[in-house]
Amino acid sequence: MTSPRLLVGGALLLSGVAVLAIGFGSVAIAPGDVVSILARQLFGVGEAAQGAGATSIVMELRLPRILAAILVGAALAVAGGAFQSLLRNPLADPYVLGTSSGAALGAAIAILLPIGGVAWELGGVQLAAFIGALASVALVWRVAGIGSGEERIASVLLVGYAVASLLAAALSLVMLASGANLRAIFSFLLGGLDGATWPRLAAAAFPLIAATTLLALRGRALAGFLLGDEAAQHLGVDVRRERRIAVALASLATAAAVALAGLIGFVGLVVPHLARLAVGPDPRAVLPLSAIGGALLLLLADTIARSIGVPVGVITALIGAPFLLWLLHRARTGYAL
Amino acid sequence: MSTEFAMQIDPSYELIGARNVRVEIGGKLILDEINLKIGVGERVAIVGANGAGKTSLLRALSGTLPVASGEVILCTEPLSGLSRATIARSIAVVGADLVLPFATRADELVALGRLPHGRGPSGPTVHDRERAAAALERVGASHLAARDVRTLSAGEKQLIAIALGLAQETPILALDEPTVHLDLKHRVEIADLLVSLADRARTVVAIFHEIDMVRQLFPRVILMKSGRIVADGSPESVLTAARIADAWGIPQERAARL
Repeated sequence: MTSPRLLVGGALLLSGVAVLAIGFGSVAIAPGDVVSILARQLFGVGEAAQGAGATSIVMELRLPRILAAILVGAALAVAGGAFQSLLRNPLADPYVLGTSSGAALGAAIAILLPIGGVAWELGGVQLAAFIGALASVALVWRVAGIGSGEERIASVLLVGYAVASLLAAALSLVMLASGANLRAIFSFLLGGLDGATWPRLAAAAFPLIAATTLLALRGRALAGFLLGDEAAQHLGVDVRRERRIAVALASLATAAAVALAGLIGFVGLVVPHLARLAVGPDPRAVLPLSAIGGALLLLLADTIARSIGVPVGVITALIGAPFLLWLLHRARTGYAL
Repeated sequence: MSTEFAMQIDPSYELIGARNVRVEIGGKLILDEINLKIGVGERVAIVGANGAGKTSLLRALSGTLPVASGEVILCTEPLSGLSRATIARSIAVVGADLVLPFATRADELVALGRLPHGRGPSGPTVHDRERAAAALERVGASHLAARDVRTLSAGEKQLIAIALGLAQETPILALDEPTVHLDLKHRVEIADLLVSLADRARTVVAIFHEIDMVRQLFPRVILMKSGRIVADGSPESVLTAARIADAWGIPQERAARL
């Protein structure tokens, strides 16, 4: 199948699954009712046939969470795919530059801070996670000299690993000292969309949507990197400029995703590989398809997570890890990865 | 296109030029006093010992190695003022080897040669795929189109790499040791291909190690030693026993038998 057809088909599938997911829950709402509630509330179309309770459940509780799952899943998958292409490493994921550890440390510190108040409750931890994620990328960027033209892929990966390890050690110390707050920190580490309310979604939406969209449209520049930096230049890519842009956009998307949903693994690692199996390695096809696939995977995982009451990070890992093992097995036996 | 038109009517059109080019890396002199001029349809071999500066010369001429002083000319214009995309539409560089991080079909890889000709987020287009298929056919590798490049032999990979350069559809095709690691059959195939590629529409510049093949295939030879061009001309005038002995550091009586 060609990639435009897959994209259209995937988008239709995603819409359908989203409607089913909104209807799914302790109070079940029929798909037809979900569609008419959405049509009336969002577009002012149709009659008010459903009760106020159903409308409130759809609009206040489930819609922001479903939208958050879609946006976060798309952001993680596109960022992961971009990092894999840029660093020419199949094992790269959105957190390869230490974003996850930075965000976790930021969130943990914010949880421990003796600050109260409505504004802080609304998004203090999220803001701290966002800042922590960007700070760790800034550190890796500076130490590894990203965009200087002298950087080597191996050293970028190693610096990312070193910074992540350092921040993880700091996180452990913070957790040891956290006492009664340990559970709150732990729940951030596991990842989840429980806290995806309209205000938090609104705060994260702009960087999330803008960075993910811009990155998904930069496939032409990223395509050149498949053969390495030197070859990318010979194919007309301004390597230093494009690397800066791609790292900045991917980090921004990841930081916003982590701030909204905590640490959700495997979406950003596995989905781009699935897309490559379908359309080949060209990022112009891989990144848009990854956006749809990531949204779909996280939406499904979150729906399962909320039905059985476990964090979504556990579900994505439970789906993602065996899938990765299967991919690796295929890589040894034939055409894959 | 005005460029193509100029190339066809004017044999003195300066496709590649270097004027007193000097390149330093980390304070170390890599290239010095490089002066050359290559015209349309020429077939030029760059030869010399390891470390003589052959690859650095190709990199300087294609703008991936910045020059410390002097000037490189590409299609009559100073290279320093051209964008990477413009350079990539003028010169295709076929590198040493293809190492890919993901499974990649040969036709998908060759289609990347169309990158400098397009704009925007979509692609490769139908036209790009057609040009890629034509490039694969030109090098006689159509049967490899659906294969994962990572599973190909060294000779097959070299054909794909040349097809990638051809898909760029540039007036200049530069190759860095296109026959290294290849057996005799593949060497002959690629040598014949290079001869057939060079014509009034395309100039071929290649780094070569095999002196005997250079004598047969290339009307013009540039001999390098220690970052300088020591001789530039026909194989008979450049590849003399004395010059070979000096450039590679071997006894002259031994060089005479090469």
